[in-house]
Amino acid sequence: MSAPDPRVVKRLGEIVGPDHVVTDPNRLLVYESDGLTSYRVSPRAVVLPGSTEEVAAVVRLLHGEGIPVVPRGAGTGLSGGALPTPEGVVVGTARMNKILEIDVENRLARLQPGVINARLTEAAKPYGLYYAPDPSSQSTCTLGGNVAENSGGPHCLKYGVTQRYVTGLTVVMGGGRVIRLGGAGRSPDGALDLVGLFVGSEGCFGLVTEIEARLLPVAEGVRTLLGIFDTMEAAGHAVTAIISEGLLPAAVEIVDNATIRAVEASVYAGGFPVDAGAALVVEFDGTEAGLDADADRAEACCHAAGASEVKRATDATQRAALWNGRKKAFGAMGRIAPDLLVQDATVPRTRLPEVLARITEIGERFELNVANVFHAGDGNLHPNILFDRNDADELDRVERASKEIMSLCVEVGGTITGEHGVGIDKRGYMRLVHNEVELKAMAAVKDVFDPDGLFNPGKVLPDALTGETIRDPAMAAR
Amino acid sequence: MTKGALAAVLPAEALASGVAGGALAELEAAAEAVVRPESTDEVADTLQWATTNSVGVLPVGSGERLPKRSVQGRFIVLATDRLAGFEIYEPADLTLTAKAGTRLSSVNEALGAHRQWLPFDPPGVASRTLGGLVAMGESGPVATGYGELRSHVLGATVVTGDGRVLRLGGRVVKNVAGFDLLRPVVGSRGRLGVITSICLRAFPVPAVDRLLIFRAADVAGLEDVARAVRTAPTMPASVVVWAPTKKPAGEAALLVRLHGALPTVDADQATLQRSAGVVFESPADAAGISATVRDHAIDAAVGLRMSLLPSRLFEGLAAARDRLGDIMIAADAYNGSARLAAGEVDEAALVGLRDAVEALGGTLTVTRAGDGHAQPSLGSRPNSAERELAERLAKVFDPEGVFWPCRA
Repeated sequence: MSAPDPRVVKRLGEIVGPDHVVTDPNRLLVYESDGLTSYRVSPRAVVLPGSTEEVAAVVRLLHGEGIPVVPRGAGTGLSGGALPTPEGVVVGTARMNKILEIDVENRLARLQPGVINARLTEAAKPYGLYYAPDPSSQSTCTLGGNVAENSGGPHCLKYGVTQRYVTGLTVVMGGGRVIRLGGAGRSPDGALDLVGLFVGSEGCFGLVTEIEARLLPVAEGVRTLLGIFDTMEAAGHAVTAIISEGLLPAAVEIVDNATIRAVEASVYAGGFPVDAGAALVVEFDGTEAGLDADADRAEACCHAAGASEVKRATDATQRAALWNGRKKAFGAMGRIAPDLLVQDATVPRTRLPEVLARITEIGERFELNVANVFHAGDGNLHPNILFDRNDADELDRVERASKEIMSLCVEVGGTITGEHGVGIDKRGYMRLVHNEVELKAMAAVKDVFDPDGLFNPGKVLPDALTGETIRDPAMAAR
Repeated sequence: MTKGALAAVLPAEALASGVAGGALAELEAAAEAVVRPESTDEVADTLQWATTNSVGVLPVGSGERLPKRSVQGRFIVLATDRLAGFEIYEPADLTLTAKAGTRLSSVNEALGAHRQWLPFDPPGVASRTLGGLVAMGESGPVATGYGELRSHVLGATVVTGDGRVLRLGGRVVKNVAGFDLLRPVVGSRGRLGVITSICLRAFPVPAVDRLLIFRAADVAGLEDVARAVRTAPTMPASVVVWAPTKKPAGEAALLVRLHGALPTVDADQATLQRSAGVVFESPADAAGISATVRDHAIDAAVGLRMSLLPSRLFEGLAAARDRLGDIMIAADAYNGSARLAAGEVDEAALVGLRDAVEALGGTLTVTRAGDGHAQPSLGSRPNSAERELAERLAKVFDPEGVFWPCRA
């Protein structure tokens, strides 16, 4: 980190108020990483603007000085997307946390990027509406971060990911220019889907300062099933059977034995049998009248696939208990090892049993503790590797095992990330899924939005394409 | 001359004539050649040739839904009809990969054997190709219940104007590996590239597909029921406002489709009737009525698309009838878009309507221009920043601008 230029710090203070510029090294510690803690870089400064105008003025000042801007929401990302660059300034959206409007009749919300995902659903609830994408970090992650990462969540099997729900954006572009993209009720001639392109751009195109998002009516009823299986393979077959039945659950989730044991040993214990090979959570939502029939058919699929037990939640408390084992799995693993690498990849659903068997084999070969939690309905895997980063040999094995898992997922027709994004972590894997021509086209598209390369440099695209090198030795080691 | 030069890069079969009629036949007469590639490589060879020789390229699917257009200058038509067939279909994955020239009717036939379908119902849907639908970005009104087409396109192979082959997205539902270059291609109407293969999400065929109708003397008489239906605590598959002509009176109707298991559909119907305070009729010939409403504007001289917030839709429809007179309307009441069909429309009326719609916060575009004064260029435009970004994006995909005939 180079010391911040006092002149720039003073100007930033004039724009956002001196209290909202962080340069104290102790306070900067918080911003050194996001949820992927194995990468750490201290930024030159952190700025917390309170409005679109302030963001525009901040970006104008920084870009005028040639200083890169790294956007940051709640910092819950798991791919290092919000990792500072040593020369850059982090622009955080924490103060831009207002829901500007809930348009009940048109089922739309307009909000600032720092609004926490779950808070939007709470605010919409009195009107019988909610916001569908529900990443596991929804109680802390921000909508701005969700837009940057095109976040998913357990219920996107039925409802789709963030991209489907974002209808318009206000964006501060390079040099501080404020533009509007899209907007519900507008479909002008010759328009390209720039909103769809912007969603998932990981902070590399510009900084979102206002979001227009679609809301859905809250489902009248929900049924949640928990199936217990002796093996992961049997749980995988149950999933295939449920989909082949023509059922469309809102969510289908699987946790493996390692995860069950971690959860049951933690404060999140949900009463899962600790010797079970896998637990399958299946949820249906919609009109009350059809739900029992759907749940009955799914239960029959579970039994046919060899479930030793199928439980059904009948009220909100039981449902929350069943979900706890899934949603709090990452937290529970924190008790077991000092470090946790939450992997993320997607494979075609029918390849799940085979892929899981091979992941187990990879874990054993590298002598690593791998716990699997995944969105089985859409083939999105989260193999979690437990390790201690102070053990250099183990860290090296984690790296090599990760790469094998990624290659495996691509080999069976999947991809290197389903919902966590590429960030800093997966740039090296991008060549597994994209050739040079495609990567160059992506770089050219980044250039369309950010010709000076000052938004979140060094992310998403491999080094040779961005011209950026990572200087931090801790990162170079990876 | 052009055909001879193309024969050096493409096999003879790709240059054999014999495509469709209609607007395409007229274009064929004006084009220097019609190219019918059979593979992504042949498409790439064609586009490299066109770039090198500064010849324009107009990609077409079935050609049946191609609006009349007057293309001036040297160009070729690139038809995707020989790029047909399935690549991967794994029913339990609920995904399908097929070549772009595959017709939706044949896709749904194959999917139907596994009780699956693609939830699209835009005009002329059965004869349309997957590539054409994706290039136009048209879902039809069932987008209400299933989401828009753009969210169902998981991946595509796209050949850029200068012949680069980009494999975008993938065949899994969740995929965030890099910038999503596929999004601007969907709905770009051929301006960014030729789509040669597409991976789409499939859905289970609902056990019951029920059409409910509420009739009123005129469009305005549907407004309260339409509002009640689209704000009721249930999601229909589609909600369509339908008015074939202004006269005779009494033919305006609200058509609601409910999809699901029988008890679900029964309960949803009861909820909607309670919310709207009306009793819907269930017609015997539901499929026929749905098809009529869907395809009503196919042969109209002038086609317009109006987009508004749903809460402003009926104001927009009233403005359209005030200015254009006896038009046909099929409007998606849930998302606020409307397709309008008219005979001839004069320029002043069109501009007046566009300004009225824009004052309501919406947009008006000309999808089919007649022989009179309705010009596509009279429609609403994106804002200046969006236009600038779109121009620069187009340069990334098509550096030499060979897709200029798509803008004509």
